[in-house]
Parts: sequence; C-alpha cells; structure tokens
Amino acid sequence: MDSIRVAMNSVEERTVSKGGFALRQGGHEQPDATAWACVLLAAARRSLPQVESGYARLAALQADDGRVSVDPGHVETIWPTALAVLAWRSSSAYGQQCERAARYLLETSGAHWPQFPRSPLAHDTYILGWGWTEGGHAWVEPTAMAVMALRALGRDTHLRVRSGVALLLNRQLSRGGWNYGNTRVFGAELRPNVESTGMALHALAGLVALHEVERSLDYLRERIDRLSTPLSLGWGVLGLQAWEEPVEHLEDRVGDCLRRQEYVGPYDTPALSLVLLPLVRSWPLWRGGQA
Amino acid sequence: MTPSDPIAAPHVWTRRQVLSGLAVAAAGAAGLWGFREWQKPTLTAETFIGAAASYDRDLSDVMSRGFRELGVTSDEIKGKRILLKPNLVETSEQATHINTHPLVVRAAAEAFLRLGAQRVVVAEGPGHRRDTLAVLEESGLESVLYEDRIPFLDINYMEGIVVPNAGGRSPLRSLTFPALLRDTDWIVSVAKLKTHHWAGVTLSMKNLFGLMPGRYYGWPKNALHVAGIQECIVDIVATAKPHFAIIDGIVGMEGDGPIMGTPREAGVLIMGRNCTAVDATAARVMQINPHRVEYLKEAEDWLGPVTESRIMQRGEAILSVQKPFELVEAIPSQAGLRLS
Repeated sequence: MDSIRVAMNSVEERTVSKGGFALRQGGHEQPDATAWACVLLAAARRSLPQVESGYARLAALQADDGRVSVDPGHVETIWPTALAVLAWRSSSAYGQQCERAARYLLETSGAHWPQFPRSPLAHDTYILGWGWTEGGHAWVEPTAMAVMALRALGRDTHLRVRSGVALLLNRQLSRGGWNYGNTRVFGAELRPNVESTGMALHALAGLVALHEVERSLDYLRERIDRLSTPLSLGWGVLGLQAWEEPVEHLEDRVGDCLRRQEYVGPYDTPALSLVLLPLVRSWPLWRGGQA
Repeated sequence: MTPSDPIAAPHVWTRRQVLSGLAVAAAGAAGLWGFREWQKPTLTAETFIGAAASYDRDLSDVMSRGFRELGVTSDEIKGKRILLKPNLVETSEQATHINTHPLVVRAAAEAFLRLGAQRVVVAEGPGHRRDTLAVLEESGLESVLYEDRIPFLDINYMEGIVVPNAGGRSPLRSLTFPALLRDTDWIVSVAKLKTHHWAGVTLSMKNLFGLMPGRYYGWPKNALHVAGIQECIVDIVATAKPHFAIIDGIVGMEGDGPIMGTPREAGVLIMGRNCTAVDATAARVMQINPHRVEYLKEAEDWLGPVTESRIMQRGEAILSVQKPFELVEAIPSQAGLRLS
C-alpha cells in the first residue's frame, strides 16, 4: 500500500547527521525517536546503516550507571532506558550496553511506600515497579516497558520482573483495562485507556494466565475497531496480537490511520514507528530481535 | 539553541534567562532578573464575567465584549503570536464536561484573530494520556480546529527549555517549558471551571500544568506532585507569566473533579489579565472561599489579588451568577472551602 511505503520512507528520512533519529524531519535527535525507528527499521530490514548509527547514538547517550535519559540536562528522565534495550536487542553488538541498562533497571524503582489504612489511593503503593522519572512513583507504562526490556534480556523470572507483573495486575481496573496507573481515587474507579491497556497486555503475555486479564482483552476487543490514532491503534494491535488475537484488515486500518496525517499533520517518529510495527514484526517486543 | 537563533519571546524569557536555566547551579544572577520582576506585587486587577447560557451562544461576541471591558485592544494584540492552552485531560462519552469545550477555544481564537493577532495556535500536554491525538479527536476539538485552520501542537513531546524557577515555592530549582514559548508573545490559559480532588479547584492557574512536557515530567506529571501541587501551581505561573485567562464555566464540574465529578451549569465565561484574580473570582462564582484555596493563599498580593475589594468586577456581578458547586468534605483539599 502506497501510504505505508511512504510512511516507512518518512521514518528513514528522519535520521540526523550525528546519528539517531529526530521526532520530526529537521528536528534534533531524540532517544525515544531513535529507539522506535531502530526497532521498526531493523524488523523491516531497511536502512541498516542508519539503524547502526542509531544504536551507536543510543550507546553514546548511555550514562555510566546504565541509564538512558531524554537528554543530558535531564538525567532524571530515565524512561528511555527500557526503550534503548528493545532497540539494541535487534543487534548482536550491544550486549554490554544492554547489560548495563539491565543492571540500572534492576537497581532502580519508582518511589513506593506502605499503603496507609485511609489512603485515597486504592492501589498497592508498596509494589516495586518503575517510574517515568527518577524518584517518581511507579506507573503502568514505564513498568510495562521495563518488564519487556528485562524479558528481552532473558530475565523473565527475576524477582523485579515478577514484582513488575504484580504491579501491573494490581493496577488493572476492575471493569477491565489500564490507565496511567491509578485505579480508584477517593472511592471512584477511574477510566481505562487503550494505549496503557495495549502496552500492559503486551508486557504480560506469557507471564500470566488468560483469566487474569480476560476483562482487559474484552475492553480492547470492544475498542479496537474504533481506533484511528497511531498510539492507540499501535498499542491496541500489539496488545491483542501478543495474546494471539488477530486484528482484521490490519493493513487497511493502518493505512486509514496514516491518511489522518493529511489534516492533523505528520505523526512523530515513535507514533509512526509504533503503528507500522505490527505490519513488519509478528513477534513480541520482549522476544528481542529474532522471530 | 544556537547563537543564531532569534530572540523571539521578549514577553516570556530573554535568551539570557533560558541559558542561565541550563546551568541552574549558577542560576542566581540571571534568574534573579525574572524574580525581581515578580517582586513588584500585583495588588489590584480587573476581571470580567460574561453570561452565556449555553455553547450555542455567540461566544466570540461575549469574549470580544470582555476584551473591550478589560482594555484589550487591537493596538495591543495586532501582530502578536497567541498560544491558547485549553484544559484537555482525558475523554469519556459520558463526561464531556472534563475538558474545555471546543466552541470556547474556537471563540477565543476568533476573538484574538479579530483583534489582529498574527497567529493563534492551540497547544496542550494532557496529564493522563500519552495519546494526545486521541484526546484531541474524542473531545471534539480536532474537527473544530481543522475547520478553522487553527494548528494544534502537542506539548508533551516538545523539546524543552530550562528556566530558573521564579516562584521558589517548591523545591524545584528550574522548570522545563516547551520550546514553543520562545515563539509566543501571549500565553492564554483557556481553562475549565472545576473542583479538584488534590488542589481544591482547577482553574486558570492549575491548567498551566499542561504547559509542562510529559517527556520531562511523566504521565501523570508526578514530578510536580512530588514537589507539591499547590507550590508548583504558583511556581509555574510565576515563571511562565501568562498574559490572559479565560475560564469555561458554561458547564463546569463539581464534586470529585477534575475527571470524576458531575456536570454543573454555571453559564459564564470568566476572563482577565491576572490569573490569580480570575481564579479568585471563579472560586467565588462556585461559592468557594478563595482565601482558603492553598495556591491562591500563596499567590495573594504577589502574583495577584484575591481579596474581593481589590478586584474590579466587570460584566455580570458575582452574586447574580453564583452557584454552589458541590464539595466533598471527605476530600481534604475541598474540606472547609465553602464561602459562607
């Protein structure tokens, strides 16, 4: 399909001269854009020199303690670390960087505290997971990404992965789905969203039994035909596919989503890469670079 | 930023301030420039309340009347680059009162363009969802902006510029704003009239949490919660220095806001140049005592006036539009806020 070919080319064209990829054409390199572009293009076996330079750029951004931050002026923004691992796992040359990142992830956790008896928050605040920033509370998406990264490095049974899984299950909404990570606040159950739900389901596939997440799969099944934006559609599809549920007319759905750029403007590189990914990669992100 | 970058935002920060923020350890000298500006306390202000029974009304006309009453003229707006910052949090088909109504955003854009603004953009960094485009679409704002050819920018994924914290109420020594503000002359908070379970109320000042990019602060913007919500509200306003505030109170939210509360019709748009005064007036419209709202206590007589006698009221009288918004006494930030 023409729009898909054009979109793949668009991702390729977002390389920057010093290595890595920008969020948009003409922008500065950003680690999340680099990581997502590398995951996509490596799976599609395209632009391998640019992908190699992307891996190298991520390695250059890695701090001594193993973290990869949004930029050197914001070392506390640790969330790209897991993404970098998922990118490096498409290559065999970055084992050392992966191990350093894994060590960092295993030694880092979101802020946690014993649940107060009259806390307005219903979730278990003591379970270890990962936050977006150093010192922040643990939330669903950074925890799901860290679980995927550690699984990609073969740490499926590590205590921290098991704890991350427990956190995700604890933050699952009683009516199905996940949001950013609060379940009930002051007695009111909050609403789910698709992107958090798809990501959590993708991370949990193969680690928990179907009945533990069936209600969230129901939520995604009910929503999937109405999704038109790249983050929701991308994670919605990845969430269902990880549980071996096919999504009908996937290429058409992605094509429709891509055409929305005509009136909302170009998607950023992570969103564009994410929505294209299910078309070129049939194996889960936590399975590393190989099918 | 390279040396050849234009200095595009004299009303926001100087290049020197931004660069000083990059080396916050040395923020003292350059940062004090902005801080001193805010040491001149704003003791009086004007606010405007416009009646609008529904979103079908000509809201642009109500806003234009507010501009006239507040002395916002084409001489002042002509050629300005206007940033409208609505309140987009998350969406639910059953709860359209969560977000600033699209027709209020449209009316604000029209009113500024009518006064000769060079450009109006709408930008937001939702705090709960990473899929900003989904929030934009599901809130109905996407189709309105497309029809009007008004661009939308997602703040959450923008590159940041680091600025010394001019408020100094929270422990944060610097704040990271979107680079977009370098190309903005007027920041306009286009907020929603809502109660809030952590801050008591969310009005034009709390709305500016959405100026902080998620890529630096997370989803939710937990780094700001950890540093103190009330203190960060004051710090962000003191540092960003917004130029104007508009609050959509046609249908607001009462009870367990900002997302789980119930709709409350108040039938008003509240406007003004000073966010503190606008929020104090809005609180009174909700029959909430603004002197008991923590962030307004912090801001009082520094960022703006809270005392009613220091706020010149234009348009409708507060008493004529006042509606008691339900407060939840079991929520600590809302306990005891009722205006007696």
